[in-house]
Amino acid sequence: MTQNSSVKYTYEEQEPIERIKRLAKKFGISPVGLLSLVILLILPFIPPFNQEHLLRWLVGAALIAAQTIAFDFTTGYINVVNFGFAAFLGVGGYTSALLAVNFGISPWIGIFLGVIPSAVLGFLTGILTLRLRGIFAALMSWFVGLALLGLTRNLTELTRGPLGLNAPTFLETASNRPYFYIIVAMMMVTYLTLRWITNAHYGLAFRAIGQNIDAARASGINPTYYRVFNFTLQCAFAGWLGGFYAHYYGILTPALMATSHTVEVLAISYVGGRGSIWGGAFTAFPFVFLIEFLRSNLTELPGLHLILYGLLLILVMIFYPGGVAQVYDTIRDRITNRSPQNQSAAAD
Amino acid sequence: MAETALKKRSPFIEFVSKATSSAGLTIIFTIIIAIVATVVAGPFTLLNAIVTGGMWALLAAGLSLVFGVMNLVNFAHGEFFMIGGLTAYYVFTPISAYLKENPSPFLTALAPFAGIIAATIVGALVGIVLEKLVFYQLRKRTKEQWVMNSFLLTVGISVIIINGVQIIWGTNYKGITSYWDAKPLEVLGVFISVDRIVVFGIAMVTMAIFWYFLQRTTTGRAIRAVSQDETGAQMVGIDLNRIQVLTLALSSALAAMAGASLLFMFPSYPTVGLKPLYIAWYVVILVGLGNVAGALVGGFIVALLQTLTGYFIGVTWDDVIPTAFVMLILLIRPSGLFGSEVKGVHEQ
Amino acid sequence: MLKVSEIDAGYGFLQVLWGVSLEVHEGEFVALVGPNGAGKSTTLRTIAGLIEPMAGEISINGDPIGGMPANLVIKEKGISYISESLNLFSDMSVEENLLLGAYTIRDKAQQKESLAFVYDLFHRLAERKSQLAGTLSGGERKMLAIARGIMSNPDLLLVDEPSLGLAPNLTHDVFQALLKLRDQGVTILLVEQNVNTTLHITDRGYVIEKGQIIMEGASKKLLNNKHVQAAYLGI
Repeated sequence: MTQNSSVKYTYEEQEPIERIKRLAKKFGISPVGLLSLVILLILPFIPPFNQEHLLRWLVGAALIAAQTIAFDFTTGYINVVNFGFAAFLGVGGYTSALLAVNFGISPWIGIFLGVIPSAVLGFLTGILTLRLRGIFAALMSWFVGLALLGLTRNLTELTRGPLGLNAPTFLETASNRPYFYIIVAMMMVTYLTLRWITNAHYGLAFRAIGQNIDAARASGINPTYYRVFNFTLQCAFAGWLGGFYAHYYGILTPALMATSHTVEVLAISYVGGRGSIWGGAFTAFPFVFLIEFLRSNLTELPGLHLILYGLLLILVMIFYPGGVAQVYDTIRDRITNRSPQNQSAAAD
Repeated sequence: MAETALKKRSPFIEFVSKATSSAGLTIIFTIIIAIVATVVAGPFTLLNAIVTGGMWALLAAGLSLVFGVMNLVNFAHGEFFMIGGLTAYYVFTPISAYLKENPSPFLTALAPFAGIIAATIVGALVGIVLEKLVFYQLRKRTKEQWVMNSFLLTVGISVIIINGVQIIWGTNYKGITSYWDAKPLEVLGVFISVDRIVVFGIAMVTMAIFWYFLQRTTTGRAIRAVSQDETGAQMVGIDLNRIQVLTLALSSALAAMAGASLLFMFPSYPTVGLKPLYIAWYVVILVGLGNVAGALVGGFIVALLQTLTGYFIGVTWDDVIPTAFVMLILLIRPSGLFGSEVKGVHEQ
Repeated sequence: MLKVSEIDAGYGFLQVLWGVSLEVHEGEFVALVGPNGAGKSTTLRTIAGLIEPMAGEISINGDPIGGMPANLVIKEKGISYISESLNLFSDMSVEENLLLGAYTIRDKAQQKESLAFVYDLFHRLAERKSQLAGTLSGGERKMLAIARGIMSNPDLLLVDEPSLGLAPNLTHDVFQALLKLRDQGVTILLVEQNVNTTLHITDRGYVIEKGQIIMEGASKKLLNNKHVQAAYLGI
């Protein structure tokens, strides 16, 4: 709510520490967040996480984490659920893989080229549907996703359909550790970019639109512009992350684009806390580990992990809509603010 | 508006203006396509479309009703279809096995109805439980962003039901070849199984009862009242909670009945509901969200569209083409071809 | 019969009413007047059970009803509320709207009786009974809303701004209809901005400003009050 005109002091007058703090705030970096990142970066060398199969889980978790960041950028801010999210991921992945297979383009370049069709499709979907109520946009993006899934399944000459498309991997190595650093870097780029945007005046406009579109419009915000911008950016990041998927797992099937994949990202992002950007990413790691653990140990109960997704989503939505991010906020407030008033508020 | 309505118009003008409205044109256009298709592809396509169309109509009418009354965009509607099929299978097969050993022509003819009725009851019960256990809980706590939040709850419910069924009953197909072991009858020079004819009959009778209930009974009128004006409904003494439970129960019962009736075409397995789900959504978007009468007609239109796509382009495309068609409708006329009673499709 | 004591009410964090008290006796025609945004409609909505009061008590014939949901207020306490925006079911016919007004009455014969009564009161509605409510003119819509409100045979009728958006001759018709109902023995609490006419036809009145009752008394006396004359009558 701070207005620029009311900020009297300039950057030059501030202490260097203050400037760093401001800069950190601008990109959404907190001491706790930084500490978590450091732990994450050394994790692949700490037993038992240095084993290849656990490293593989770590890569998977980081990939999901990066997706939840992009997902929350849209649901948590402009309050539109991109129900075809996985399809946009798939478009990026298939583009990059096809470029590599047919034209020998390096995956390192391909993943950036994959962004283009995802963003363009996202832009078109956005511009056509975001003038409608949010729920129509959700339905429409779902239909777009279904159509893209259907196309991928049917255009077998191009995509090989359900047989799967083999994509070259980024590296020759069989080790998962380098991939972990690639995806963590991609996750951080996603996080910093989107946090930077939401902390700028765009974030305020997004939130205003998400909370009350009519009020936002009345105060001179053009909802369609901001919503399309937001949606397109989300799809662009989805496409980029899809590229990683293609060149890490080395095989793409239309199943990647199925709605169940979107549900997975959606559930983690909601449990993490809507509108926090970091909540979903933070939750993804323990969550994916728990789920992979269940999946590998309870093979006689297939789908148990998905029930867990559904149950947590429902419970969080009804009983604790703030998710993990709110738990963190409550704890932080208790530690930093010791006045009785705040404590009682936090206890609520 | 009021002026034109007051004018007395001749029945002929009345008829012409009705026929040239978008709803009228759509119906006329559909009939023409149906006739052309019958000439080109043979009467079988038409008969096929009519049999499934009746059930799609029931499925879509329930979905539409729930949206109108509860503002609920139900993603779990297909799961009611699946539960219906499953119930019918477990009720019908033991009876049928028993009757093989103790033949009784009379009971053999009635046994399928036992399955279908049981499925309808189970469907209604599941609807009641979900309303009390999930939707009511959210409504009680917050009505903010209800449409989006309740939609996500249905996503969670869908995931839980699908995987719960998978864990308990497994992923194998549970189907029957036919309900009635009778010789196919000849209609329009085509042999058509007794099952299809009876199922069509069930659809027609149910539609008629459903229509009578909504239009002529006090409770049916109350349901429509809630969908048109919630406050107005409260003002005349209608208990919203009761109507909401009833509506969800009715809607899920219809879906379960469709699933049970079509068991011979769609064997029950955990994710069988996905296709009926999007078909129902196609219908609802096509005719306009919340328009129950339109949904009854729309079911046949979508079934025809599917059959034609399957015949002329290829069976695997029968998802893609209707999706594209429905997306087009959503873009050109977001309130649907028949116009919608629900306000606020556009945000601008 | 109706007793409202010291209620606070509002929407979310926004409190509109501050300790409002008023009373309506059996057979009375009472007015609640005041400027725009003073809390007149909020008072009626609270009594009707559409808003839960934050504090205070509302009772009817001695039984407390504060916080009771709207559908029970009408069903068990015989209070009928006619809102400012009418809340008609616009895609249903006039007759269906009226029948829904008698939703709480399960006896078919009694429903028919009520129907005959309102058709007798409003001939226009009888002529248009199969027309959709959404296609009626403004005046007819008000008539329909009032008629729907009395279909449940209420003891107390709460009417919110019936003159809103109506031409003067139609307003006159609506007020005549209310007077007729009063003569039939229905107790009425009327909220109005049209202070002059309202105080001429009612028995007693309350003046509400900024969420508080500032004055009450016989309507005739209020008409002669200096403040009322200056603020509402332009004298």
